[in-house]
Amino acid sequence: MPVIQLENVSRIYKMPFGDVVALNNVSLSIDEGDFIAIMGPSGSGKSTLLNMVGSLDVPTTGKLYINGTDVSTLTDDELTDLRRDTIGFIFQQFNLIPLLTVRENVEYPYILKYRKNDTEGRCDELIRYMGLTESLSHHKPNELSGGQQQRVAIARALVNDPKILLCDEPTGNLDSKTGIQVMELLKSLNEEGKTIIMVTHDAHIADYAKRSITIEDGEIQ
Amino acid sequence: MTPGIFFEFAKRSIRLHWLRSTLAIIGIVIGVAAIASMGMLGNSLVLSISDSLSDVGDSIVIYSHGGISQGPSSSTVNDKITKRMLKDIVRASGSNDVIPIYNTADKIIVGSEDGIASVYGLETEDSTLILNMEEGQYLRSSAGALAGSRIAEEYDLKVGSRIKLGGDNLRIVGILEERGMGFDINPDSAIIVTDKFFSSKYDQEDYNFVIVKVRDITDIEDVKDSINTKINRKEDVVDVFDTKAILESLLDAFGQISMFTTAIGGISLVVAGVSIFNIQMMSVTERIKEIGIIRSIGTKKNEVLKMFLYEALILGLFGALVGALFSFIAGFGVLMLMLDSTTYLFEPSTLVYIPYGMAFGIVTSLVSGFYPAWKAANLNPIEALRFE
Repeated sequence: MPVIQLENVSRIYKMPFGDVVALNNVSLSIDEGDFIAIMGPSGSGKSTLLNMVGSLDVPTTGKLYINGTDVSTLTDDELTDLRRDTIGFIFQQFNLIPLLTVRENVEYPYILKYRKNDTEGRCDELIRYMGLTESLSHHKPNELSGGQQQRVAIARALVNDPKILLCDEPTGNLDSKTGIQVMELLKSLNEEGKTIIMVTHDAHIADYAKRSITIEDGEIQ
Repeated sequence: MTPGIFFEFAKRSIRLHWLRSTLAIIGIVIGVAAIASMGMLGNSLVLSISDSLSDVGDSIVIYSHGGISQGPSSSTVNDKITKRMLKDIVRASGSNDVIPIYNTADKIIVGSEDGIASVYGLETEDSTLILNMEEGQYLRSSAGALAGSRIAEEYDLKVGSRIKLGGDNLRIVGILEERGMGFDINPDSAIIVTDKFFSSKYDQEDYNFVIVKVRDITDIEDVKDSINTKINRKEDVVDVFDTKAILESLLDAFGQISMFTTAIGGISLVVAGVSIFNIQMMSVTERIKEIGIIRSIGTKKNEVLKMFLYEALILGLFGALVGALFSFIAGFGVLMLMLDSTTYLFEPSTLVYIPYGMAFGIVTSLVSGFYPAWKAANLNPIEALRFE
């Protein structure tokens, strides 16, 4: 069973000057364990597609199934739970929460899901796994380098053991050496069974994916 | 169970912006302190006034119609209560004590000092009913007189002192307890003599007014009605006042004044509410991106709402606590200054204004913080994430 399935999905934004079609009749099926790169110029609709797959947005028409669930039947809270439990987000700008320490950032989605602090050591384990030292755990995100921040973000994305990892230009704000390290990390996560969907416009980065699709003017080429 | 993490967010956000949070808290402090201290002050004044007046709450005062005295201590009397009218009053009052009173003012000389004093003439047996002795004894003979507490202090009168009242020598046989302002008689700055002395000295047979002491305060209306129907049958012969009603209308007026001052305190709380609204809007606007992040990684709308309401709640709680402390200190100081006593501050009916003020402060914070929190919760996560 595909972990993500789009059937004739369109997303139309109502604007004062007329409707804007961001996605036009897109059908796409992504199986579990896949590593897919979505490429395309800016404004092509790839961000809309990623938001859709991340259950931040819902189709105007067509059907979208995430992990077998038809998202059009879900309330806002249920969509939020879906994001929390089955999807891990990795952003270009890391998007760590500035008020929280490194460890708290990793722990945050865990608390949202289990309504309690992590006492099993899962966060510390993930932080170690990402190659970050124990002493960094108590620092605030802005005291870390870009590469370290992205590793924290990946640890945060993994804490609830999601099936899907969504990466939006994960290396966009990193130097090439750090970028390669992050991509190697994502590759090994994919090899462990995570489904990875990555938006990028860098062909070298897209090479890490098992397959890549290109979107232009809201349609898959 | 609500995870403490949202409270933690609120705490840290406040600590991060400690200056503006402090300013907002100061606003709440002022509002709460204003409301609570105004309320406490008003209540203490009402308590102190009703305390000094309540012992006269059981009296009915009867003047001849047209012979009403203006104000509590003046004695401009045109018409008087005749012996016949007194008989009717006694009959109408049932078993309650009826005390006819002579009243005038005259020159008093004590040693080398002289002045004007109010003079009351009472039947000897009646003086025990409405007067309390500090020292000495009640009136027995016409050569004796009682001195009110204030006049005794002023002229340094003791039991056995000799005074000259309108040229006649009198010996002070007793000093009265301080009684405070009354609606019937004000003996504190008066000389009390026997009715016999009074009527022979001033050549006056009719009484200035009559007091009826009602034994059971719940009967006061019945006695009043009975006097009215018996005596004022055809035309108004007497005017009947009950001191309880006067007292109540006075306390009513005081209540309204303290309500008014409390409302003024409320205005400062409104201002504080506006400042909470303002800084919460700032907090939301500055953290749009952060809200987008936490929404995208699985925070529900109502959890975001909670997070921002906690912020307003913390500000309100802090402000309310400090404000309560301040209002207590202020109340203590002002009462010490105005009444020389703080006993009324510790009455439950006074202290209740502290939780009152606090509740107003906290509710104001929550109400002002609600719209910003609601706005934060309902941001579109996609747009919030894109916000720079």
